[in-house]
Amino acid sequence: MLAVQDVPLAAGRAERLALGVNALAVADPLRAALAFEVDATTYLLALSTNQ
Amino acid sequence: MSDLAALTLAEAAHGLRRRELAAEDLLQACRRRIERWQPRINAFVDQEPRNSPRVGPLGGIPLAHKDMFYRAGRVSNCGSKIRKGWLAAETSAALERLDLAGALDIGTLNMSEFAYGPTGHNEHWGDCRNPWNPDYITGGSSSGSGAAVAARLVFGALGSDTGGSVRLPAAACGVTGLKTTWGRVSRHGAMPLSHSLDTIGPLARSAADCALLLGAIAGHDRRDPISSPEPVELAVDRPIGSLKIALSSAWIEGNADREIAAAVLAASRIFKNRVEVEPPDFDLLSAHCLVVMQAEASAQHAQWMRERQADYSSAVRVRLEAGFAIPAAQYLEVLRLRSAWLERFCATTLAGVDLYLLPAIAVPLPTRGETGPHGGPAMPKLLAGVTRLTRWVNYLGVPALVLPCGFDSRGLPIAMQLVGRPFAEGTLLAAGHAYQLETDWHRRLPAE
Repeated sequence: MLAVQDVPLAAGRAERLALGVNALAVADPLRAALAFEVDATTYLLALSTNQ
Repeated sequence: MSDLAALTLAEAAHGLRRRELAAEDLLQACRRRIERWQPRINAFVDQEPRNSPRVGPLGGIPLAHKDMFYRAGRVSNCGSKIRKGWLAAETSAALERLDLAGALDIGTLNMSEFAYGPTGHNEHWGDCRNPWNPDYITGGSSSGSGAAVAARLVFGALGSDTGGSVRLPAAACGVTGLKTTWGRVSRHGAMPLSHSLDTIGPLARSAADCALLLGAIAGHDRRDPISSPEPVELAVDRPIGSLKIALSSAWIEGNADREIAAAVLAASRIFKNRVEVEPPDFDLLSAHCLVVMQAEASAQHAQWMRERQADYSSAVRVRLEAGFAIPAAQYLEVLRLRSAWLERFCATTLAGVDLYLLPAIAVPLPTRGETGPHGGPAMPKLLAGVTRLTRWVNYLGVPALVLPCGFDSRGLPIAMQLVGRPFAEGTLLAAGHAYQLETDWHRRLPAE
């Protein structure tokens, strides 16, 4: 994946990198209820409506 | 030490207004302390004055800032080798506003390389060292800001907070630090790390000092499209009798170091109206924060990672490599979930209350050796412990105030963290001020 982006990776790094990235893919209990229409910009609205 | 350097910023500003103090005397008091402390803590990168005195509410107050706030025609190294000697073309909005308020800018402060590290290590400019014990980390990435304010070298400093970079050095160095709401302070002319998370905030000697600095720098700026016009409530001395504080005592007792738990729970008792709540899912929200931070930081650094990879420290290079491996769909889904998590935090943790109280750092502060380039296999766990309670706040985008609330048996500061709703900086600062009227932890000084 990094090679496609022209980012060199030292030998032996790929495996450790995969472990770290996989650890961030956590199960999220709110994911199932996320409305189809929501996009990242709705967060700005949430900031103003949750004061 | 000089009595003048022991004043808070608010006291110094008051003295200047009443002509009981002279600006030159304040500056000389700071200069004398810098001369003594700089060799021990390496807080400054450059001690050249960067602006001229002018009249204003902060007129004549010596400040210095993290070396990532650009000033036209002056160098911003950003803690890096890659930007060593880089001359900025324009001045950051935050510095422009402090200039308008009359504050002196007496130099640039050390920081983690590209603000991408939580400890204060820096292999290009030298580690910043904790004034309470130079063997221990300052916290990062606003390491110089925390150390300089703690050692009373300046009356306040700006830092940036993307995953804890104002709060960690404030906590580790025993000063007061404010992580602002995302959008509260313009980021124009400040080095970017992760645009969805980056915030700018003050580190100072007290909550009242932070309020003065926030009042100067907050507000809408057309050059930062997410900057907000929301008004800032700066009256820190308003009554807080009706203020309600939520906390999770059992979680703190079960998860924080014993001395830290005892100090934070003792601090919470200053607030009369306390409510026990279930803690937010710190680890899940921190993981989401890291997805956003790593993906955006790596995109920001993509060209240098292709062309100048060898000029990064190994620690920063490893973090940047990770961001290139995060799938775009995962990054965007985490951002889509952000408003739902903010709503849940406000509707559950903060239901019927004003603020949530917890430790800033729940583990004993590690040494520089334990967390440096030769830290060994235990280092990832140590770093995860240091940052566990800060990143979740950045994912939600809400404000948080860190206040010193004790010392551990090694003589190192302990800090609590108050977290509020979006744009609730005024409530946070009023609560912090009320706490600091009752305690003197923020007035303690490291031994010379």
